[in-house]
Amino acid sequence: RLVQVRWSRYNPSYLEPEVNKELYQKPLEELTEEEREQMELKAVRPIKAAPPTLSSSVFSDPMISKFTNMMMKDGNKVLARSLMTQTLEAIKRKQLEKYHKAPENEKETIECNPYVIFHQALKNCQPIIGLSNITKGGKTYQVPVPLKDNRKRFLAMKWMITECRENKHRRTLMPEKLSQELLLAFNNEGPIIKKKHVLHKMAEANRAYAHFRWW
Amino acid sequence: LRLIHTTTAVQRKNVGASGPEKYTEAFIKKQIEEFNLGKRHLANMMGEDPETFTQEDIDKAIAYLFPSGLFDKQARPMMKHPTEIFPEQRKIQWGEDGRPFHFLFYTGKQSYYSLMHETYEKLLNVQKYQDQLIAQDLPLQKEKRNLAGSRWLTKIELEEMLLEKLSDDDYSRFIQLVQKLMALPGSDIEEKYIQKFSREVPVQMQKVVIEPLQHDERGVAFSTGEGRRKTARATAVVYDNGTGKMTVNGKGILHYFPVLQDREQLLFPFQFLDRVGKHDTVCTVSGGGRSAQAGAIRLACAKALRSFVTEKEVEFMRQAGLLTVDPRVKERKKPGQEGARRKFTWKKR
Repeated sequence: RLVQVRWSRYNPSYLEPEVNKELYQKPLEELTEEEREQMELKAVRPIKAAPPTLSSSVFSDPMISKFTNMMMKDGNKVLARSLMTQTLEAIKRKQLEKYHKAPENEKETIECNPYVIFHQALKNCQPIIGLSNITKGGKTYQVPVPLKDNRKRFLAMKWMITECRENKHRRTLMPEKLSQELLLAFNNEGPIIKKKHVLHKMAEANRAYAHFRWW
Repeated sequence: LRLIHTTTAVQRKNVGASGPEKYTEAFIKKQIEEFNLGKRHLANMMGEDPETFTQEDIDKAIAYLFPSGLFDKQARPMMKHPTEIFPEQRKIQWGEDGRPFHFLFYTGKQSYYSLMHETYEKLLNVQKYQDQLIAQDLPLQKEKRNLAGSRWLTKIELEEMLLEKLSDDDYSRFIQLVQKLMALPGSDIEEKYIQKFSREVPVQMQKVVIEPLQHDERGVAFSTGEGRRKTARATAVVYDNGTGKMTVNGKGILHYFPVLQDREQLLFPFQFLDRVGKHDTVCTVSGGGRSAQAGAIRLACAKALRSFVTEKEVEFMRQAGLLTVDPRVKERKKPGQEGARRKFTWKKR
């Protein structure tokens, strides 16, 4: 239970916009009960304006925009976006190199689509349980706690960015380092996956305190 | 700058719940008599019939007799029925011997808890009715009430109804209970009780007039639209039978918007309606920054495209968020803080 401290300029009755074109072109019969109720609600309630990062084109991806925003420093979205595009390009180049060097039977197993690699890498980095500090009887214990989806995604992205900012040689640029880390994470190797496993082991070690959790 | 939605701390305080009554009943009765007498005098003065003198006539008469140049409407002279001026208040809840009337007085929030008890009683009634129906092997009715057209009472409205202060937690608990009551299949019997706590949402806000297409000298159909975002104001003229060229303030979009994100926003309405290469656009924009201008032009193009497209597609555009004006503006800096939210560095001494 959390009390709202932030307020928004929108009335609470405003709903989130839905940009996906295909959902609107579906004929009425294919919709399920819930979708029909949602549609009826949307027809009556006002809807918020779509933010500038959201668009119906094939190139806009919510995960990529979230990652770009997290990489951004001092509001410099132009730089963050260019770094992101350079990273995706670097991933594509590396994969294409591997593809052309590989023998015929392995060519199908190599994944060339940078978006697929990005999504899969982040998915592999997501922890399942996290630790939370609970104070009981004066002592603070690290209690294993299941994480929500948003929190998992955020942790994966945060680890990726901090890893790339700190553990690199002074001369390597961000896109190169990021592409390296993403490819390692895609194959379940690399320091971020190690960090995830360390967290899981800590949670397993503190399993005895799991009953301290009350939510 | 009107705030569209803020926390409850900023909204008006509930006078009825603040304390025991400040005006006695006899005082209010006297005020009502004086008001009625005054109304008749006023009607005589204005030469109207005292029997059919309505509140609007009173307001007009007072504005005529006591003209005031004050800006605040609440500060000008007014003559209204005492129930509108003196807000409703809780009467004294204990008798002469000091014994309270209501059995829940010592909980502190007697009307809130009695309301919760009543609602729970209705819930138990509905469950008993359901059990009876099952015992008689009759089918359970599942009529889905239209959730879209009504909303629950807000916390302030509930406070006014109960004449007591509520906390957010109490309010949310009450709403959860009433929602649970409504969700049960046999709740038709308690329909009247539930309707006391719901208000109608006016649906008429979506009726916007779509302008018809205009034609210029060459016979090409076009339509205009205006858009704004933060401080940027834009106008767009969308021509039919075009090649997809876009001109902004006399320059091409590649020249004016070097950033990919802005160009994506400009093309968003066209891409959503699958009309990317079919319209020519000429836009003018001023004010704001790079992203604000892009957002303003996007809104202007979407509004202009409404005339080219069927009503269903206009509804789809609205649900995609293309037709709403973005109300987010820069928050003002407050005194005692460094920025809008950032406070000064805390120093221990």
